[in-house]
Amino acid sequence: MMAVRTILGLLLTVGCLGVAGRRLFFLYKVGRTGQPTGPEHHFDLGSAVKAELVEVAAQKKLLKWTGPGIAHFAVFWGFMILLFTVLEAFGGLVNPQFQIPIFGNYPWFGFIEDLFAMLCVAAIAAFVVIRIKEAPAGLGRRSRFFGSHLGPAWFVLFMIFNVVWTLLAYRGASINAQRVNELAGTPDAPLKFLQGAFASQWFASAFHGLGEHTNEILETVLLLLSLAVLLGFTIFVTYSKHLHIFLSIGNVAYARRPRALGALLPVYSDGKKVDFEDPGDDDLMGVGKIEDFTWKGLLDFGTCTECGRCQSQCPAWNTDKPLSPKVLIMALRDHALTKAPYLLAAESSTANGEAAASADGATANGIPATAVAEAERPLVGPMGDEEAHVGEHGITGEGVIPFDMLWSCTTCGACVEQCPVDIEHVDHIVDMRRYQVLMESAFPEEAGIMLRNLEHAGDPWGLGASMRLEWAEPLDFEVRVFGAEGEDKIPDDVDYLYWVGCAGALDDTAKRTARAVATLLHEAGVEFMVLGEGESCTGDPARRMGHEFLFQMLAMQNVETLNEAGAKRIVVTCAHCYNTLANEYPQVGGHYEVVHHTTLLARLVAEKKLTPIQRVDASVTYHDPCYLGRHNRIFAPPREVLGAVPGAVLTEMPRTKERSFCCGAGGARMWMDENLGTRINQNRADEAIATKASLITAACPFCITMLGDGVAQRQQEGGATGVEVTDVAEVLLRSIRPDLAETGAAPGADPA
Amino acid sequence: MKIVVLVKYVPEPTATWKFAPDLTVDRAGVEGRLSELDEYAVEQAAQLAEKGVASEVVFLTVGPAKATEGLRKALAIGGNTAVHVVDDAIHGSCALGTSLVLAKALEKTGYDLILTGMASTDAELSIVPQMVADRLGINQGTFAGELSVDGSSVTIRRDTDVATERVTIALPAIVSVTDQTGEARYPAFKAIMGAKKKPITTMSLADLGLSADQVGWAAASTKVVDVAPTPARTAGTIITDDGTGGSQVADFLADRGFI
Repeated sequence: MMAVRTILGLLLTVGCLGVAGRRLFFLYKVGRTGQPTGPEHHFDLGSAVKAELVEVAAQKKLLKWTGPGIAHFAVFWGFMILLFTVLEAFGGLVNPQFQIPIFGNYPWFGFIEDLFAMLCVAAIAAFVVIRIKEAPAGLGRRSRFFGSHLGPAWFVLFMIFNVVWTLLAYRGASINAQRVNELAGTPDAPLKFLQGAFASQWFASAFHGLGEHTNEILETVLLLLSLAVLLGFTIFVTYSKHLHIFLSIGNVAYARRPRALGALLPVYSDGKKVDFEDPGDDDLMGVGKIEDFTWKGLLDFGTCTECGRCQSQCPAWNTDKPLSPKVLIMALRDHALTKAPYLLAAESSTANGEAAASADGATANGIPATAVAEAERPLVGPMGDEEAHVGEHGITGEGVIPFDMLWSCTTCGACVEQCPVDIEHVDHIVDMRRYQVLMESAFPEEAGIMLRNLEHAGDPWGLGASMRLEWAEPLDFEVRVFGAEGEDKIPDDVDYLYWVGCAGALDDTAKRTARAVATLLHEAGVEFMVLGEGESCTGDPARRMGHEFLFQMLAMQNVETLNEAGAKRIVVTCAHCYNTLANEYPQVGGHYEVVHHTTLLARLVAEKKLTPIQRVDASVTYHDPCYLGRHNRIFAPPREVLGAVPGAVLTEMPRTKERSFCCGAGGARMWMDENLGTRINQNRADEAIATKASLITAACPFCITMLGDGVAQRQQEGGATGVEVTDVAEVLLRSIRPDLAETGAAPGADPA
Repeated sequence: MKIVVLVKYVPEPTATWKFAPDLTVDRAGVEGRLSELDEYAVEQAAQLAEKGVASEVVFLTVGPAKATEGLRKALAIGGNTAVHVVDDAIHGSCALGTSLVLAKALEKTGYDLILTGMASTDAELSIVPQMVADRLGINQGTFAGELSVDGSSVTIRRDTDVATERVTIALPAIVSVTDQTGEARYPAFKAIMGAKKKPITTMSLADLGLSADQVGWAAASTKVVDVAPTPARTAGTIITDDGTGGSQVADFLADRGFI
């Protein structure tokens, strides 16, 4: 009997691991069809170990959501400890009294094993409750599981439950079987087998009445059953979205650190930066086919667990647009896997020196017709006829990623922030946009006006450099302009170069902020200088639209200006300028100490160089601009500035700081029509209005425009009375120089 | 059918222009671009090539060395080759001089249809197409809002204040187009790179059989005698309504003869 169970068990193990291994090898080969990564994804032992400890072992990102986070923590550690139990079970195939060396048969070990097994069961119960409560059947799009594979998810829970109970039952029968040996006086049998393993003991008690021989048979049957369940589950995992239990370890190790936010990556072709002044003929310009993604991108797609945390935070999804970051990643994964046989055939024929398999020739080479058909689908395509082609996940149309899905992204980074396995959604979206813009010249038509304006006038409105100093005219002091007195270097007495930004220089509302900041700096005795006509757009909207060429042109021109002027410290009022100057200009040779005006103002207040005296009796709320908060972790300074203003009472919005909800302007969406779903800015403005604040503040001109429009809309409808949208700096100015503060309602506000 | 598009490299309209001592625009001191109004003509030519109507599209410009940038932009939108007439002696030419250079160059390139923008965005004269037609002795159609070409003629739509005309003109002819013909496409990066490989032929006055004294500032029939910056905009009048706002507005308008 022992021999039979050993042989059966080993056959089962070898067979199942063979099937799973074959699948994993196939997935590995698919991953290898991806492109090499740039240096941001090169392996770094220190940061990888840290990330594994923080994100995998400590489950930090999952624990951002307390309930589901604790449940996942329990099931993760439950399975980790369960590995010991599994090891014991494998040992039991050859020796029923097998013990793991060191851990042996101590009661504390048995107790811990069973405790974690029971935690697993408790976690599964919690997951069942979560899945029922948040079922898409009831909540529709508001469910984070909307669009996920629901059947397999339930099956995974069921299988985890089966793994746990079969192991415990086997151990119960094992206890009884050992007791038989014990009673028979077998001298080698350890006494009190699996002491402390309380859950196993429950099964032992339950099975005890079945008699000695039945328990011996039961032990073998349950052992084989538990291994069959476990190994079967392993096979299932390799064919399902549950792959994350293997892949997330690698995905976390190779992820961009500290996070895939802030700077966008340069355009890489074959792992090397593309030189836009003299590109190679074969250089890839972004992603136009699934195999143009890097292997790390493909690993991202395979790692997605369809948990939907990204989807729940996405401003596009929450305003009924066709983009869900989760569905986008799932669609790319499914496309990659369906196309895989074609890709692998193409790769092996190229490797053999033959021409890559053509779509026609491929069928002859034994590639499934589905793979050939999939290979012919464009990666990004127009929306299809809604009724005719509702494909998987509700995506319609011929393209893997519908055009409107790609262009709905505001690059706010809420998805990246949430993803427990470090998927880099924004980078992938921008890479696909890059191909669309650079190679296909395909983008929402209205954004072309902005691109042309950037090219010709250096600002998105097309007003031109000659208008760039008008904002400063009403000031009662002179703003120093670089070069006005013939200097070719920024003089030493200048503390900061003030980067006014296109909005600050050209947009009427933002000009107020530009003046408020200038006045405050002047009041604090900070010497600053502006570039005036020498300034142009940093290139942020072009880059986030995917127009890397235009971004490079603008960035190189600005870096040249800044370097020639000897700029070292720069203060900016726009969150987008801040991000580009601080994080992206180093990619083109511009290294500066960049400070956002809220950080500088908070410092000046702390140093008592600015003393807010005048009361500003107002309830205030603060909107975290994505490119200041999530992308650059500047959460505290704007709040410190507001906190320093006597009389101002800050009420936070429900979605705040890391979970702040985008205003809708990022990712060059400021320059595109928003005619799908509801309006993002309205959603956020309504949230701000609901705090009952009379001052809605932000720290980015585009957020202020968007929120201002949202408030104005409500005021036209008779609501939001007396609500004003303004920059944090203006609130501070009201407390320091109330005589200079330009009060006024939100743009377009109710004239009454 | 061969189409030649006349394009002009103009100073960037949104930039601050500076003037040289001879009161011509200091072209070195200001960014330039392909005249936006000529982009419409470039686009029409590119479309005619795509439709198979035009077998060859050539862009022709007269301008300083930097004007090749304008030609590259046009070549990114479409077309096959470009001709750049560049000669220091052309500096300061009036419309008569420019049209003479263009006409001579067109005789060199050959043409069935000549397209151009309705005006340049710097001088805004709108007169060069007519002058070129006269010099070449060919038909002309101006301010086309729409155009279609068959083997031997071009048909254009002209929108005037009183009527919309549909005019058929026998080829060879020169046609100037308006923004009504449709915005130029936004060239993809690969088209911009491809444009760098398209040939641009450079010609001098001597190549065209012209002498320096026929063109240029000295020979110009019109000369700029004075240049002054546009006065800054002054703040408008703000009327705060104290109950008499309506009548104040009425008085304001009546004072200026609007009512």
